[in-house]
Amino acid sequence: MSTEVVYVLAASAVFGAGVYGLIVANHLMRKLLALNVMSSAVFVTMLTVAGTTPEGPDPVAQALVLTGIVIAVAATAFALALLVRLVQETGLVSLRAKDDDGA
Amino acid sequence: MTVGVVVDMMLGLALVALSLRVVTGGSLFRDIVLFILFGLLVALSWARLGAPDLALAEAAIGAGLTGALMLMAYRSIGADTEERPVRRRPGVALVVAVLTGSLVAVIGLAALGIERVPDAAGDAVLEALPGTGLGNAVTGVLLVFRGLDTMLEMAVLLVALLGAWTVLGDARPGRVHRVDRRTPLVGSLLTVVAPITLLVAVHLLLAGTDAPGGAFQAGAVLTGCGVLMVLTGTLRPTAVAGFATRLLVVAGLAAFVLVGAGAGFVGHAPMTLTGTWAVYLIETAMMLSIALTMTLLFARARGLRGEGS
Repeated sequence: MSTEVVYVLAASAVFGAGVYGLIVANHLMRKLLALNVMSSAVFVTMLTVAGTTPEGPDPVAQALVLTGIVIAVAATAFALALLVRLVQETGLVSLRAKDDDGA
Repeated sequence: MTVGVVVDMMLGLALVALSLRVVTGGSLFRDIVLFILFGLLVALSWARLGAPDLALAEAAIGAGLTGALMLMAYRSIGADTEERPVRRRPGVALVVAVLTGSLVAVIGLAALGIERVPDAAGDAVLEALPGTGLGNAVTGVLLVFRGLDTMLEMAVLLVALLGAWTVLGDARPGRVHRVDRRTPLVGSLLTVVAPITLLVAVHLLLAGTDAPGGAFQAGAVLTGCGVLMVLTGTLRPTAVAGFATRLLVVAGLAAFVLVGAGAGFVGHAPMTLTGTWAVYLIETAMMLSIALTMTLLFARARGLRGEGS
């Protein structure tokens, strides 16, 4: 089993965990954690499937992933700003109304 | 099976276990800390996959910066907003998760089996790289071959900051719990660590043209210095963005546009970088913009001012 296969399999499981967390979690910050976990899995998969050159992983894929990492943190920062404002306005940390407990 | 693959398997298992813990755990604070650990292990995975540029970026941005932002937001929404127990049935979600995870595995394993095309973009980059005067292929792609992507990435960072400023509304800048700097540990931390981070940032920026590193990694390390200074009260968040602040947050984007447009005027194709001086200029501007943008996002402020002023 090669290094790439190990990381593709691990990234798939991590992606699945992220999807699960995104659906099940109530707290918006935990949903954000799940999204970030998913994006890490996508980045690892992207780099491994791009193949390698004699000088390491494909440089175009590396640059794409590097761009992705920075975009992910920018989006997370904006989402956190929205979350803090939401808590200030409503006192809630999830998107469900207070009386909507079930289902 | 070599020792390396055993290390990979252990790392892979740790990644899966940590991600499960992060998405299902009970204490948000602990899970943010575990997420930072997860990011550091991802950085190790990048190193194992032979991508040191990504390892540096992941450790500084993916783990460090995201973690700092999360912890800061956790502080300001208060620990009393701990989530209620999940009431919806997790069975359906589990099925969806297993299916999407399997899909990723199938796509990934199928792609690994495909023979690499002989004239892939990556090979073309390595072939054309000596002509650019750069030694680091990733920096070459980011600045020279796909410069437009990187320019738009700086635009995304700027939009994220503008969005956060809009959401901030009339609220006062996020109050930062300040530690007492007269204690010997904090004082020496600031006087020793802050200059070192500055040094590391500049080194990463300069080394980035030939070795792992570059504007993003340097900007993230510099942000670390900014975060430290905000937390110790050396820099104080303000509610108004001064002229210098506005100039610095657009510097990265502006340098890209001006150098790119300038190349068009002197007879090159627009957006060509005519020499390594252009790479250094743009990367320096990018580093400063990234560091200030991220520090402002961390402090939830429109500006920063020194302690005495």
